Amino acid sequence: MRYRRARVVLTGLGITVLISLILLLGGIMNGMRIQARQYVESTGADVWVSYEGSGGAFIGFSLLAEEHMVFLNSEQGIVANSASPLIFAQARPTVRGKSTKAIVVGYKLGKLGGPKHAIEGRMFTGSEFKDYRPEDSIPFEVVVDEKMGLEIGEQITLGNEKVRVVGKTRSLMFVLDTPLLFMDVRVAQKVVFDNYPHVNMMIARSMENQKPAQIVASLNSIETIDVHTMKQTLGNITEYYVDEPMKAVQFLRVMLWLAAGLLVGMITYVTMLEKTQEIGVLKAIGGSNGYVMALLLKQVVIISVVGVMLGLGLAYFFAAAAPIFVAIHPVESIIVVCISFIVCCGSGYLAARKAVTVDPMIAFRGEI
Amino acid sequence: MAVIVEATGLTKRFGSGDASVVAVNSVNVRIDESELVMIMGDSGCGKTTLISLLGCILTPDDGELHIDGESIDGTVQDMSVIRREKIGFVFQLFHLLPYLTALENVMVAMDIARKNTQDAESRAQELLTQVGLSERFHHRPAQLSGGEKQRVSFARALANRPKIIFADEPTANLDSRQSDNLMNLIQEMRQEHQTTIAIVTHHEGLKSNAERIIHMKDGRIVMR
Repeated sequence: MRYRRARVVLTGLGITVLISLILLLGGIMNGMRIQARQYVESTGADVWVSYEGSGGAFIGFSLLAEEHMVFLNSEQGIVANSASPLIFAQARPTVRGKSTKAIVVGYKLGKLGGPKHAIEGRMFTGSEFKDYRPEDSIPFEVVVDEKMGLEIGEQITLGNEKVRVVGKTRSLMFVLDTPLLFMDVRVAQKVVFDNYPHVNMMIARSMENQKPAQIVASLNSIETIDVHTMKQTLGNITEYYVDEPMKAVQFLRVMLWLAAGLLVGMITYVTMLEKTQEIGVLKAIGGSNGYVMALLLKQVVIISVVGVMLGLGLAYFFAAAAPIFVAIHPVESIIVVCISFIVCCGSGYLAARKAVTVDPMIAFRGEI
Repeated sequence: MAVIVEATGLTKRFGSGDASVVAVNSVNVRIDESELVMIMGDSGCGKTTLISLLGCILTPDDGELHIDGESIDGTVQDMSVIRREKIGFVFQLFHLLPYLTALENVMVAMDIARKNTQDAESRAQELLTQVGLSERFHHRPAQLSGGEKQRVSFARALANRPKIIFADEPTANLDSRQSDNLMNLIQEMRQEHQTTIAIVTHHEGLKSNAERIIHMKDGRIVMR
């Protein structure tokens, strides 16, 4: 059975685009998850304290005062002096005259919460004070990710303050390549909290022989704070920044799969309608239902295999060229390829089943 | 002489209730090996329905059918197996696949029967040569005359060495010279391959080629 080449090519291209979109959307979500996790994991903290009822670090509005440090540092099982204040706040810095999106990460130099070393330049000047009480004498310096493309010595504007780039980090961006601006907690209080003497959260590290879950359970008995383990925090941040906002995207992915299946099913059905006379003749001269079905399914398989494989290639190509971090997971690629193939072939099979009902008597009438 | 087709009380109705039409009514037919039988009658008398029943394309409502000694029951048997193993068809409108060459059109029948491709190709070449188309192997149907197309169709019918070939108005779309040539070829092929042939036609001029003529009227076989 001969297929219309242009139709097969166009349908294959349609499948290619749909499959690459499915994979790219998955890759974007996966990239977001990786970026959401990588900052939290890079801190090395496994005890995360936020304000009671805020839903956890990074989730709701959380402001903590200095005395919460006392709870943490006095808690048995916490590495001595590992407790550190942390500000993690969305901001709109002006970079090279353009307003952009970023996250201000304020922490104490040498403590948990940010990089200890810069890959280029130097780290910001740290506060001389033991705590994070307001102090005006600290230079406004920031360490940024190299992907921001800023040069050492350049200035960015945060609120009404000018902050100077003094160092660079690598692979420390947040969800959707949102840059993280690492600075002293004191500077962060000034530029994002207007000198308000609070922080968003406290973080600490448990001793090696201690179970963070037990420490967290103990600390949670204190009113006014919510305490989470690293695992809980990762779960929260992934759910809050990726899974919930991306529900519509997940739905769209299912729709794209349906569209791919419909496309193959529709084309197979149209082919079957066009070839009714030919199918009738083949059946009249002895072609079994299986033989006729196999001829139609050959078209389905060709379209599906070519479409899905090209879609896979195209997705990886666009992932590499995308302006945001897209991480297509190899295992997910295999799953998407398998599901897409099953959906396309299943849909084509349902349409091709109609061919089995063609009456071979048709061979005695009309022309092919 | 062996009996190739034997039908008893073969009946086929179309429609139901008051709209029911009996297209073939209690027909008894017997066709012997190597016989050339013509089934003749006016349009709508049931000729095509009869060869569709004998050719295992339609399942009868009543009656019994034996092909090559095997009892045929369309309700339990896969009729496509009988069609590809024991029966060949030649259609009025040739029904060659337009995108295949003459050679490939003959090979299709053997592809359906799951024959080895190389064997199928040499058999198709042999048959096309026998029907006088050795120079037309790689021509598509659009490049062939009506007579040539029907020869390809005849070669396709012979491809799987059927016990019987049913030809439905094979000369209806041919001029008289092409019709005569085709009938001569059918006679030659019948002798060469010892094939039984049943031809449905309303063309009186072909009568002389038949060993036996079955006349039909209103779904029944009638004596003349």
